[in-house]
Amino acid sequence: MAQSPATTLFPNQAEQDRVERSAASRFARGFVRFARRRRLGAIGVTLVLIIVATAVLSPLIQRYDDTQVFEVPNPEFNPTANPLDIARNPKLSTPTIFERYEAPNGAHWLGTDQFARDIFARVIVGARLAVIIGIGASLISVSAGTMIGIVSGYFGGVVDLVVQRFVDALQAFPGLVLLLLIVQVVNEPPLALTVAALGVLGWATSVRIVRSAVLAVKSTPFVEAARSFGASDLRIMVQHVFPNVVAPIIVVFSIGIGAYILAEASLSFLGLGPADKTTWGKMVSAGRVSLDLHPWEALFSGIAITLTVLGFNLAGDALRDELDPRLRGR
Amino acid sequence: MTNYILRRLLLNLLVLWMVASLVFLAVRALPGDFVLTQLATNLEFADNQAAIDKARKDYGLDKPLWRQYASFMGALARLDLGKSLLTQRSTWVELSERVPYTLELGGLIALVAFSVSIPIGILSAVKQDTWIDYTLRGFSVLAVAAPVFFVAVIFTLFVLRYNLWTIDIIGRPHFWTSPAAAAKLFIIPAVAGGLSGGGTIMRLLRSQMLEVLRQDYIRTATAKGMRGRNVILRHALKNAMIPVLTVMGLTISGILSGQIILENMFNIPGVGQFLFASLRQRDFPPFQGTVFIIATVIVTLNLLVDILYGWLDPRIRLS
Repeated sequence: MAQSPATTLFPNQAEQDRVERSAASRFARGFVRFARRRRLGAIGVTLVLIIVATAVLSPLIQRYDDTQVFEVPNPEFNPTANPLDIARNPKLSTPTIFERYEAPNGAHWLGTDQFARDIFARVIVGARLAVIIGIGASLISVSAGTMIGIVSGYFGGVVDLVVQRFVDALQAFPGLVLLLLIVQVVNEPPLALTVAALGVLGWATSVRIVRSAVLAVKSTPFVEAARSFGASDLRIMVQHVFPNVVAPIIVVFSIGIGAYILAEASLSFLGLGPADKTTWGKMVSAGRVSLDLHPWEALFSGIAITLTVLGFNLAGDALRDELDPRLRGR
Repeated sequence: MTNYILRRLLLNLLVLWMVASLVFLAVRALPGDFVLTQLATNLEFADNQAAIDKARKDYGLDKPLWRQYASFMGALARLDLGKSLLTQRSTWVELSERVPYTLELGGLIALVAFSVSIPIGILSAVKQDTWIDYTLRGFSVLAVAAPVFFVAVIFTLFVLRYNLWTIDIIGRPHFWTSPAAAAKLFIIPAVAGGLSGGGTIMRLLRSQMLEVLRQDYIRTATAKGMRGRNVILRHALKNAMIPVLTVMGLTISGILSGQIILENMFNIPGVGQFLFASLRQRDFPPFQGTVFIIATVIVTLNLLVDILYGWLDPRIRLS
């Protein structure tokens, strides 16, 4: 087995511990400094860390399966009751009672929903879905947007004109209409389709921002120098343009995540979210059935959406201000 | 300037043609058509292929795609948005009944959005890095993060719990027919939509105000003895609002997205609900027509904003 570089660097175990500890403490000190400078950003990063940890560790913390239906024995059950008594009191004939609409208690920390499922487990599972959807959609939109944006900005001319008009066309749709159109291509949209649809929705914005960054880089002397050396267009784009637009790309990636989670929640709320998955949007929608008497499901899932989007937005904003403050307000 | 506007108008036509083609192709890529969704509620015809074929022929759904496209484009050129397959009425007539509701709600949303965001944006910039700023910024990031339907759910819960008023979701009231019922119906979606839309404006306005307040002309205005309030409202706000206006197209399309949800939640028979229903029923002509109209409004608005931009800020006169 190959030795890891760290072990080779520090043959002395104590020495290695000390360096690693100081690396950790350096990180901690860096975070404290960041937190002091950008308080909202620090709150955001903390929220994101909590949510991502919840999503990764969800099988460990959700306590129950999100689709498990809870029943308790019916104390009034009487197997020998005669039909007349059952007609008077139907409860006599059912051996178990579904634990529907429980308020938060020790067994069900956030209560149960109308189908007697544990809301806490469902909220935790929803976190995993939200993280997958937010990061997945942002990855798709940013990687597609980067490629098209670089090509469109670099070549200009007719290519640019056509791409930009296509982007204009996509942005002339209200976002939700576009989403509804793409998601319904299949009757029961799978998770992957939802993610892809959100990616397409954000693609237009990514192209816009990457393209304008490319336009600024394109006219710099080092690109001209590369061209005068005879470098091919592909080489210039990959080696010279791309590394200089990485900052806006990271910013677009991180700032989009919250918006995608929000858009997916709207989709789920309208009943067109990923099929067979427990999502927060669906839970808010289901919680509206008996909102005045049993508000727990709608409240907790709605709070979960808000905090998650808040966390990703704040972290994204802080990252933007660190990396590329010119993108503020875009 | 005239040249610029003409060029933009031509490009807008190109964009609108793309929108129309995209939506035409997209709806036809969806599974099922109008006949099948109608049959879902009339099961006795479900396996009668002859009846299905006849219905498709009657609705013109059996024609090849290119002929449907050609007749759609031809009609569009004559500003004919087609007939609803469901009601057999012209899309214009259908829209004329729904646009008032959407304008009522949309107008209220915009009113709430601006009347909340402008004072908050100013105050939080003027009191930068005080607890007022932190509270208001916290409020604005929350307003952006909370889904519009969740805000509406919270307000609804509040109204229901404390029995404040009855939300009439059946009467379809207008403000000019029954103002009291309309107010009770519209206030929750208007506040929810307004807060969501206003959150973005607040944050943009704050950062623009901070930028403007650092300019020399603000110092000059203060130095010549102008009152602080006048400096902020006359000199700073006017210039800070310009970028807010330029995102008007985006703001309107965001409000419209929110309206699809809110109109469905509160059974307001506006354009958003109509869009959603006609898409679900695969009633293509009114859906295509409505999307086309919305896109036209957004694209025109963007052009107006760009022209206005050059007029408001002479430094960037468009060449």
